[in-house]
Amino acid sequence: MSSLLEPEPIEVMEHSNSDPDKISAILTDEEKLEIDEEAKHYEGKSSVGLEALRIVQKHRGWISDNSIHAIANYLKIPVTQLESVATYFQLIFRQPVGKEVIYLCKSASCWVMGCDQLQKHICQSLEIKPGETSKDGIFTLLEMPCLGDCDKAPVLMLGEEMYRNLDEDTIDTLIDKKKQLHADKSTD
Amino acid sequence: MPTITIDGEKYQVDGDQNLLSSCLTLGLNIPYFCWHPEMGSVGACRQCAMIEYKDSEDQSGRLIMSCMTPIRDGGIYSVNAEMAKEFRGGIIEDLMTNHPHDCPVCEEGGECHLQDMTEMSGHTMRRYRGSKRTHRNQYLGPFINHEMNRCITCYRCVRFYNEYAGGNDLQALGRNHQIYFGRQEEGRLENGFSGNLVEVCPTGVFTDKTFSAHFVRKWDLQTAPSICEHCAVGCNTAPGARESSNNLDPILRRITNLYHHDINGYFLCDRGRFGYEYVNSATRIDKVLSVRDEDLIGSTADNKDILHKEINPQDAVLNLSVQITAAQRQLRRIIGIGSPRSSLENNFALRQLVGADHFYSGLNYLDQEVLQLVNSLQSDDRILSPSTPEIETSDAVLIIGEDIYNTAPRIALAVRQAARNRQKQAAQSLKIPLWQDASVRQLEEEHSPIIFIGTALSNLDDIADATLFESPQKTALFTHALAQEISGYKAPNLKMPPHLQEMVKRTAAILLKAGKPLIISGTSGKHPGTLQAVAELSRALSDDKKTPTKLYLACSEANSLGLTQLFNGTEGNLQQLVQTLTDQRSANIPTSLIILENDLYRRLDKHSVEKLFSLVDEVILLDTLLTPTAKRANCIFPASATAESQGTFVNNNGLAQRFYAVYEGKGFIQESWRWLVDAVDFCTETCENLSVLKEWKHSTDISDAIAREFRVLRVLDELGPDENFRIDGLRIARQSSRYSGRTAIHAQEHVSETPPINDPDAPMSFSMEGIHNPNKTQLQANIWSPGWNSNQSIFKFQEQVGGERKGGPSGKMIERPRHPIPDWTNTLEKSPQPPNSMQMLPIYRLFGSEELSNQSMAISELIEAPFVLINPKEMTQHGVNEGELVDIETSSGIYRTEIRRCNTTPEGCIGVPYGLPGLETLAALMPGYATLRPAATHSIAGVEN
Repeated sequence: MSSLLEPEPIEVMEHSNSDPDKISAILTDEEKLEIDEEAKHYEGKSSVGLEALRIVQKHRGWISDNSIHAIANYLKIPVTQLESVATYFQLIFRQPVGKEVIYLCKSASCWVMGCDQLQKHICQSLEIKPGETSKDGIFTLLEMPCLGDCDKAPVLMLGEEMYRNLDEDTIDTLIDKKKQLHADKSTD
Repeated sequence: MPTITIDGEKYQVDGDQNLLSSCLTLGLNIPYFCWHPEMGSVGACRQCAMIEYKDSEDQSGRLIMSCMTPIRDGGIYSVNAEMAKEFRGGIIEDLMTNHPHDCPVCEEGGECHLQDMTEMSGHTMRRYRGSKRTHRNQYLGPFINHEMNRCITCYRCVRFYNEYAGGNDLQALGRNHQIYFGRQEEGRLENGFSGNLVEVCPTGVFTDKTFSAHFVRKWDLQTAPSICEHCAVGCNTAPGARESSNNLDPILRRITNLYHHDINGYFLCDRGRFGYEYVNSATRIDKVLSVRDEDLIGSTADNKDILHKEINPQDAVLNLSVQITAAQRQLRRIIGIGSPRSSLENNFALRQLVGADHFYSGLNYLDQEVLQLVNSLQSDDRILSPSTPEIETSDAVLIIGEDIYNTAPRIALAVRQAARNRQKQAAQSLKIPLWQDASVRQLEEEHSPIIFIGTALSNLDDIADATLFESPQKTALFTHALAQEISGYKAPNLKMPPHLQEMVKRTAAILLKAGKPLIISGTSGKHPGTLQAVAELSRALSDDKKTPTKLYLACSEANSLGLTQLFNGTEGNLQQLVQTLTDQRSANIPTSLIILENDLYRRLDKHSVEKLFSLVDEVILLDTLLTPTAKRANCIFPASATAESQGTFVNNNGLAQRFYAVYEGKGFIQESWRWLVDAVDFCTETCENLSVLKEWKHSTDISDAIAREFRVLRVLDELGPDENFRIDGLRIARQSSRYSGRTAIHAQEHVSETPPINDPDAPMSFSMEGIHNPNKTQLQANIWSPGWNSNQSIFKFQEQVGGERKGGPSGKMIERPRHPIPDWTNTLEKSPQPPNSMQMLPIYRLFGSEELSNQSMAISELIEAPFVLINPKEMTQHGVNEGELVDIETSSGIYRTEIRRCNTTPEGCIGVPYGLPGLETLAALMPGYATLRPAATHSIAGVEN
């Protein structure tokens, strides 16, 4: 069970067998270019760790052990230091996530407006628990402390977009829409 | 001094300290976690809350964190106000909600700061009934256990490991409720000071893995003050011992830091902390061994090796005494070889037995020469050997030819602190108190200049301002040029490339500008020219500054500098011994060789050692470990290790320090000098020299005899009280007053309580009866105070937090006659390099270069396989590739090693690991020459493919 009071133990020792050779993990030219571009805003390359993580995640969906080693190598910073940044920020994923990540707001206003019921509904329709990814690999459900839109509670964020004044119907529509979108993509 | 009022009492305190450390200095009990006397305050844990009142009218006051509060003159504070107590109780209760109830199985239990603080805050009942957050633990290498569930998130570990010790593989991971202190992935904590986490962590997250293997509670350990024998810095340690479970003999169980203000402070290196296991290792000698006459079927021993069997100690002693008697009748000659890793007492006893003329240092010519150079440098009034706090406050450091992280590790840790002095100065100019650790570290000042020139530099490269990797010859040349630059000479035609000349100018400017410059060098390069140039430089700098130059010189072994005091110049070196024996071969008198705790194969090339053995008739060895030399000895006496004996070492600073027996060695183990005295006791007739030995009953008798014989070592009779010293009629107890199982421990035999073993050497008892209070005597190494069971209690025994131990510093400087350094005619030697050969430069390893610690189980896991370093430019020239095997051909034979590329190895040189198992016998050849070629089996490997 994941809740604010009793979060799950954090997984920092992920040993992924799928990519055993760390040295071969390299950044693509595109990723490097973007990191270099971002690095221009900082005094040194070493300060750009968080941005680099964000850029790589944008391309790869999540940050694997290989990716984090690749970034640390590229920025010439100790990998443990980068890991401490990566595990600090909730929006950097150190485990695989679905194509669409649902951030459901669980703070006071949303709670008053019934977010628990909505969460139950999402869990039922996707057959997942909070923190898990649906079997089709499309949706991951995460809880957020506050999305800052309390006057339109309950809210959630999906991708980079906010969805406000939610009820079960709007959520069903949203999920269906996204499912359809990805079904279309895969048939293309 | 500001005056403050705490709970109605007026106190005078040091205005530079924060309120917490002032209160602790005053002896008040305030709980704390994140504050550390050496690392300052960050205000993370909120445990040290106190109340500050505006004025005497103010009744309620306000809550403050005492570690973050500067002293205000006239300030009114309270520790005991109800609000503060309640707040502290709340904090501890909150911290404890996730702390497991595992004290009975936790190795920190009984010396746990968290236990102490919980007790102190009055949190004795748990109200929290929820589940606790749990973590997976990591494998952190052979030294440290990891148990993250016990963490209270004080951040001390990462503050020590990253910020203080310069590590980069331990971090705070995650956030909020799930913070995890660990590595990115499992693996050894790579920093050489990781062992301090055991003491820095206020609870049981990081515990000593070697201790786990034979764990007992702190109160069940028997302790005495000791000196680390794994390098020459002279760190003070508190080893702990107790009877092992399967037999009755006590074993050494762990090493902890014993605070010494001028040397180790609060921290030890990992070699010192985990190297102790050699004492319990399989190679330990605990029986008297003698030649086995009968042939063994199927023996795999080398045909030169002598096979041994256990004999009755009395027979062996008798045999030795027969030889001594024969020597007195001029029918036999006895030669003694001393050792830089044995105490002054043992060395002196051997010298007394064989006579000064027949006593040799056990060092080769070169090693003794460089040690004498160190000695004469330190005898000059213009040179001052700095203490660790003095090193930490230097504002410019020049390291010449010494890889201090590997040869004097604790000093490297001090240099790391010196690198922060620019930052600290900036903080002071901004009126930020230095204990405000996070604020000071935020100042983006450059490191104070640290410049290195030499063969190899480990661990400090991240803070080094400039590093020059050159051969010893070039290093000496550079130093020489630097000295001339500082003296303002018109530099003579030193053939130096422009980039070096540029560096000379820059370094000179830095040293001249610095207020407290420090130079570090040492004997590890085995290059007299470098030390002579260092002397010249120190002199020039002192002449310019009109104050003595701070010069730290690292020697190689625990008592190198002590042994040096027993010899004039290079007299008594091993080459001289071989020469003398060769010359006197025709005398036709049987010769016995007594070797004291020394492996000659590490001192001389193989051929010379073989020759030496062929020139003598009987080899008698007194040693702790079965070394290659032991395989050639006719008779071996088991000698006690440092923790089992009393004696004196002289450290790099020339500080004579006494170590005391923590426990009696097992089996027939006793001090080397006692074996010699026993043998003399058996002699039927004794001359005057020998009757002196007969009189020796206590270790201090020898110390006093040394003090009488050697003016330089006069301080030895003042070093510590003799065995008759008593406090209130009592000895000092080695066991704590809670020592358990006195009658149960021998239960397999009987349940009566046996009388404790008598200690003939020190005024200490091997029992719990006696003085326990470390404030009454520094001989009490069990640092404990009521309510303070952890090592944090040390502040109760300091003049002030982080200051001297009460009763002043232990140890005394040896009094070397002062004389200016002679003007060495700087022979910038053109070394006769044989064609096609490479110079072997010694490179050092924290784990692998030191003889004794190599036998420690945990350390042996980390020792690398034999390798040599070569500049990649020269790889092709020799037709070798990275990782391939090569044969190194030397006068001592051929050594097969792996080859590794190293960009910093000077051209024409190979870096050869000093003392690394498999390459030990190369140590004596360095810095000589060798030829290198691809290993002969190379083609065979190809066939197999």
